Amino acid sequence: MLKAANPDRPDLLTWVFLALGLALLPVGLYVALSAPPDVNQGYLARIMYLHVPTAWLGYLAFFVTFLYSLLYLFRQDPRYDRVASASAEIGLVFMGLALVTGMLWARPTWGVYWTWEPRLTTTAILFAVYVGYFLLRGAIEDPELRRKAAAAVGVLGFINVPISYMSVKWWRSLHQTQSIDLTTGKIHMAPEMLQALLFNLLVFTLLYLGFVRFRGFLAALEARREEA
Amino acid sequence: MRRVLLLALRDLRLEVRDRSGLLSLLAFFAVMLFVMALALGPEEAPLRRAAPGVLWVALAFMSTLLSSRAFALEVEEGTLDDLLLTPGGKEWIYLGKLLFQLLLLFPLSLLALLVAAGLFYLPLERGLPLLFTLFLGVLGYASVATFYAGLLARLRGREALLPLLLFSLVVPVVLASVRATAGLVEGLPVAEVADWWRLLLVFDVVYVTASALLFPVVLEG
Repeated sequence: MLKAANPDRPDLLTWVFLALGLALLPVGLYVALSAPPDVNQGYLARIMYLHVPTAWLGYLAFFVTFLYSLLYLFRQDPRYDRVASASAEIGLVFMGLALVTGMLWARPTWGVYWTWEPRLTTTAILFAVYVGYFLLRGAIEDPELRRKAAAAVGVLGFINVPISYMSVKWWRSLHQTQSIDLTTGKIHMAPEMLQALLFNLLVFTLLYLGFVRFRGFLAALEARREEA
Repeated sequence: MRRVLLLALRDLRLEVRDRSGLLSLLAFFAVMLFVMALALGPEEAPLRRAAPGVLWVALAFMSTLLSSRAFALEVEEGTLDDLLLTPGGKEWIYLGKLLFQLLLLFPLSLLALLVAAGLFYLPLERGLPLLFTLFLGVLGYASVATFYAGLLARLRGREALLPLLLFSLVVPVVLASVRATAGLVEGLPVAEVADWWRLLLVFDVVYVTASALLFPVVLEG
């Protein structure tokens, strides 16, 4: 994910990801809206095609932050910190979207926008942790300390991701258990719906990659200006 | 391993000898519990409902104050560099400081529990589960507090940042501790409270391990 040290514009790969993602987004929406209705929830289930990919990408983004925070702590290269921060920012956006779409889904299916059950609670905590990540970055002026302290949160705070993911399995939760269970490899979803889900996941992944690279590029520009 | 114990006991001896630190901690949490009891009282029910939250806020503040003290003396006397010059890995410095804090915080948290029981009508029948919750929660909080205090140690006037840095990481620990305590006080079956204990245990293990491993990295450079 690292590019030339002093870019003047985003590189080709970034534009490719962004263009492909944006172009496929309406296709994804079409696929989502033409997928068959669920046997229990009817057409309400279609929000899953937005909700699940954004949640997964949120988790992925925080994992990337974790990796690059570790890399920064051991290599001290500011570029790693820039990627970590960019990924955390995009992760926050995706996680926020997941929470909002979840709330929109919850209202008609559960009757309430929010409830303090395990999955929602752990995800809200996860969100708060990374909001704290940015509060911390904003509050420290010394760049060296800021990067180190933020990297520590990036590493230590990541434990909240597996906890949030596994919360539906470990506790009795209102939220559905995983339809694609990564721990056992079993899939509990009709093939047509699975296809739509995976396609939208691809679209959102492309968008994530494009956004993170672009945000990293902006961070490099900011760093250059700070040095000057 | 011996070094961890030696460091912890040395710090403990210093802290007990110079009693001002301990006394200020005690005074702080006594005042806090008193004021909260006055503010939320005098009826029993609201006090009992608020008790777990108040208790853990008090413990959180105490742990934050204590963690900056753990390193402040080293920096003042210039002995931090001496510790860092010892051969071998530096994780033991973190573990020693953590052990020192736990040795102080466990009796203090027990005292806090008793004072809270008195002021807030907190039932103490399920004493052992309550103690276990205190242990898990205090360990979790102190583990990150020690880590960040070490990170900030050499920077003058940066201790004010400590609560801000801690915020993200201690939210889950404090939440789980409060929920577990509240569950025990309300009479929930142990099986349900055990969920929160499991969560606390996961955080404790991850935080202590990761902090110990990362401590040498953040202290140098």
